[in-house]
Amino acid sequence: MLRGADIVLRCVRAEGVDLVFGYPGGAIMPLYDALEGSGIRHILSRHEQGAVFAAEGYARSTGKTGVAIATSGPGATNLMTGIADAKMDSVPLVCITGQVRSVLIGSDAFQETDVFGMTLSLTKWSRLAKTIEEIPDIIAEGFYWARSGRPGPVVLDFPVDLLKAKVEFKGPSTFLPPAKKTNGHAKPEFWPKLQGMLQAAKKPFVLVGAGAKISGATDELIGLLDTLQIPACATVHGLGAIPSEKPYYTGMVGMHGTKASNMALHETDLLLVFGARLDDRVTGEPSRFAPDAKIVHFEIDPAQLDRVRACELPVVGDLKQTVSQFHNEVKHASLPDWSGWRGIACGLERAEVDSRGLAQPAIRFLDALFGQMPDDAFVVTDVGQHQMWAAQRYRKNSPRGFITSGGLGAMGFGLPAAIGVQLANPGACVICISGDGGFQMNLQELATVHRLKLPVKNVIIDNKYLGMVRQWQQLFYERNYAETDMSDNPDFVAISKAYGIHAELMGVEAVAGIDVPASTTKSLSRFLQSPEPELLVFECPKEANVYPMVPAGAALSEMVFEDE
Amino acid sequence: MMHLFQIRYNNTQGTLMRILMAASRRGLSMSYVQAMPSGDAFEARLLLDVTEKQSAQLYRDWHATVDVMDVSSMLALEEGWAEGIEAGAHMPPASAGIGSYNRTALA
Repeated sequence: MLRGADIVLRCVRAEGVDLVFGYPGGAIMPLYDALEGSGIRHILSRHEQGAVFAAEGYARSTGKTGVAIATSGPGATNLMTGIADAKMDSVPLVCITGQVRSVLIGSDAFQETDVFGMTLSLTKWSRLAKTIEEIPDIIAEGFYWARSGRPGPVVLDFPVDLLKAKVEFKGPSTFLPPAKKTNGHAKPEFWPKLQGMLQAAKKPFVLVGAGAKISGATDELIGLLDTLQIPACATVHGLGAIPSEKPYYTGMVGMHGTKASNMALHETDLLLVFGARLDDRVTGEPSRFAPDAKIVHFEIDPAQLDRVRACELPVVGDLKQTVSQFHNEVKHASLPDWSGWRGIACGLERAEVDSRGLAQPAIRFLDALFGQMPDDAFVVTDVGQHQMWAAQRYRKNSPRGFITSGGLGAMGFGLPAAIGVQLANPGACVICISGDGGFQMNLQELATVHRLKLPVKNVIIDNKYLGMVRQWQQLFYERNYAETDMSDNPDFVAISKAYGIHAELMGVEAVAGIDVPASTTKSLSRFLQSPEPELLVFECPKEANVYPMVPAGAALSEMVFEDE
Repeated sequence: MMHLFQIRYNNTQGTLMRILMAASRRGLSMSYVQAMPSGDAFEARLLLDVTEKQSAQLYRDWHATVDVMDVSSMLALEEGWAEGIEAGAHMPPASAGIGSYNRTALA
């Protein structure tokens, strides 16, 4: 006879999980009581949001399913932002929550919330367990849906009485999904139509999103692009999928994307999309997105098709297979010569980053930092200006190397996510880039970093503003800097030291001059090579902006630059 | 345009709510909702005033919902809408097929 809590942990372990993140509380206590000897390592965060973001970091950097545990009521509600984040960015995540006793459900008991109901629109699948006998089936099915198809979040809610009750355990379950009716309108092959579209195209362009990484199809995709030699860009989540040295690569696309990518996207007559949702930060004004293009959309989730623009040819399936199939056909096809178009799209006149923006101290600092980090380093960011600067300057060719909250844009993501990344990749260099606003949303997780002695390299780009909001206020609200001033920020170096983490301050003079001073290079080298946790505060000019920028409601071709 | 959507689903926890939320998150008024057993499954009927684009999005959201088995719709006439007319013109999650991969994709 085993307790429900033991059964939960045995079934979770059977799913291959050996590391979970969480925070204990009343309704989940039986699970914590059963942890010892379960074969599962638990990482104690200092806030449930820290736990769920750490689980996301673990999942995003490995492709494995992240697991976060919380108690009922406030514990569960504190998971919400992470659950929503995982939904937006297709992260396999299983959240296990304690619930009040079964007989009290619905009675507004102490620390009771309707977690199941609250997360229905945020999750891919969820269950409130009603009997101890169904626990193995629930866990098997939950993990299946979290990692299948387009991955996403799952919530499993266990009343505390089920966790305490005992039953004979017959072993973990295996879930076999029911066959789902496939689309009756499907055509036998996509290639004949696509071949015709390619033959007619004068300015084909490729857009790569997170799906290429999630499906593990980056090698197949690079092989295809090497054959096609079509100009190609990446979304913020697609960064690292295409090696930056490829002559056809035009860089990041979207609101703060490169001139080359945005102009090509505006001019293309055939857009091949691989694993991207085409959200509004990528498309600009949807009605003016790729106005002359026919769209071929390779996507695993049919729900993502036609959200912004109808596509002429949807190809639903796992990219690892569809890209391979596409490549096999292309190898034997005679295709037009697109070198003229490629020369324009990737030419010097559309240099990857606006040269005026390169003079910004934050850009120069990030270039100096990224220039010294190893090729297999992970860059984790929070949300805001620093996130976009980091995305613009990221040059490594590691498909899972750039990790950020892209769809939801959840401030506070960076530090806890970096903890998850570091735990999943113990020997890796993990750099967490935060802003002063976002860092303060989950800085309590410095305690987790310190406790585990995780060598996370924390950077705060400190401009003493909620910088991205302030930038919008400057550009679109006549400099009415309403409630974005953070000039009374705490002493981050002192805070870090209070948590037992070495910290330093670096001013703009560290990146002044034509070349970055040797002292700065030396300082950054020591920072990156330290075996200990570190924090570096870079004091950024207060009114630095992220450029290029596509204003809200504008087309991608209408991006503005520093002096405009 | 008023459409009557018919969604066949397994009546597991939350599935009906997920079906309804696909409409409610778009701010659509649900002027008629009915859910009932249908053979070995359940069927929900929703009368919604939707654009062509919304109709297509709803189709895709419902198809992507675990435990939704099938979606169809009828153009609902002002009089006698319950009988409806098979429209068949709305877009299910169409794909240029790649055979067996479709099943994986719909998981």
